[in-house]
Amino acid sequence: MATIEQKGMYKVFPRSGKNVSFTHYCPGCGHGIINKLIAEACAELGLQDKTIFVDPVGCGVFTYYYWDAAHISAAHGRASAVATGSCRARPDAVNIAYQGDGDLGAIGFNNAFQAASRGENFGCIFVNNSLYGMTGGQMAPTTLDGETTTTTPFGRDPALTGYPLHVCEVFNQLKAPVYIARVSVADTKRIMQAKQAIRKVFEIQRDKKGYAILEILAPCPTNLRMNAEKAAQFCINEMEKEFPLGTFRDETATRPAREVRPIPQCASCAELFAEKTAIPAAVTDPAFAEKRFKFAGYGGQGILSLGLTVAEAARLERRHTLWFPSYGPEQRGGSANCSVVVSGTPIGSPTVEHPDVLVCMNQPSYERFAQDVKKGGLIIVDETVPVHVQPPEGVQLVVWPAIRLAEEFGVPKAANTMMLAALKKLNCTGLSGDSLEEALVASFKKKPELGEKNKQLLRQAEQM
Amino acid sequence: MVIIDKENCKGCGRCVTACPKKCLEVGEALNAMGIKAVQYKGEGCISCGICFYNCPEPYAIKVEK
Repeated sequence: MATIEQKGMYKVFPRSGKNVSFTHYCPGCGHGIINKLIAEACAELGLQDKTIFVDPVGCGVFTYYYWDAAHISAAHGRASAVATGSCRARPDAVNIAYQGDGDLGAIGFNNAFQAASRGENFGCIFVNNSLYGMTGGQMAPTTLDGETTTTTPFGRDPALTGYPLHVCEVFNQLKAPVYIARVSVADTKRIMQAKQAIRKVFEIQRDKKGYAILEILAPCPTNLRMNAEKAAQFCINEMEKEFPLGTFRDETATRPAREVRPIPQCASCAELFAEKTAIPAAVTDPAFAEKRFKFAGYGGQGILSLGLTVAEAARLERRHTLWFPSYGPEQRGGSANCSVVVSGTPIGSPTVEHPDVLVCMNQPSYERFAQDVKKGGLIIVDETVPVHVQPPEGVQLVVWPAIRLAEEFGVPKAANTMMLAALKKLNCTGLSGDSLEEALVASFKKKPELGEKNKQLLRQAEQM
Repeated sequence: MVIIDKENCKGCGRCVTACPKKCLEVGEALNAMGIKAVQYKGEGCISCGICFYNCPEPYAIKVEK
């Protein structure tokens, strides 16, 4: 004599400090029916000891009280992201994300969509009741055209709030998912179809075939302000018009088990960051006068590298130093500048409003920054920059043929190295020439032959 | 035959609607939660289990064959 009764759930639910054996769902809620089917499928397939459920925020938030398996609670909308982590960390487990339409369809849509696109090894059970249930029946992305909710009191108006989001149809554009289907729990026939579909999601995960999503239309009597029967009829007569039931894709028979790639690992963080951890700390030396630099030009002139080379030279001398780039979205051709601070004491702000030394490789840079240079400071401009406006009083201006020298030496890209030669020759950095040279060579560490070449060019330019 | 635990019933009536033999009804007596729970009319049950699957509660209904 077989008994039809609940399988796969805890016998009591320790909610709100007491043990009860009923759920927190409202009378007639579709979640309750779905929760029962999920627990049953998990138990009947013998997967309870292997299953990790990722629980949502929303009405399904308490599923960890009900399903007798492992659980992880995710933040709102993040169940698919957490399930991604879970299925990668535990590829041996059956990973199931349970999400609602506010959770998956709105705030978490991209998490779910990208996980589906990657074909992560988890099953997503997506409960669509056409509104936000837990928070009081607000409009969700899945709210029907004309449907009344607390935030669409006159009915959803597509001209104002757009159209219902068809999650299955959208996901069906992706290559990776193995199984995409929409079912309902509105009546007995539909519940039995849902039962089979839920079972299928578990089987796909058991067999490691990849990503599966099952959308389930569920009645929400409370927020639809209907009794259980009317709410179920609403699912059938209204929701199914917008969200037709059916299997959009089922490639379970033809797909092989998805290959599980181990996550690449390194021995330790020290190994990963070995070079960086070898950098000696700066030495505090209050006797060293702080120097603030601004390097400016257009993107592609090597302005940022020039600043970085000066900062690197400072690091080699164990000075405190900061390099702070500023540039537009262009890879080449936009204006670019960087600030460098070299100090004997810890540095507060990396920004440089009034530099001691300004290097300008083009006219707009000179016009923008020249007036900001400190009294007693220095401006080095390339000779191609027309100096229409004199620098501020007490500021020295040096015109230097960086671009021309680079061209004469046959290496037009080395104009920034030519500018470094000027900085070295004028001895205006507070850093030794040797450090500047060493930093220059280090900046080409991926192309050592260029490092030596630039060092030679630097020395040649200095003789000019 | 259907066995109803009235303390776990929320009285939504989905089982009443779904029962093919119409042998369930919403009772008059209140359970501890103050809900008029569903009850078996006493005859007609064919132990099909449809009420169990329509019920949102895990432990309100079980069906012995």
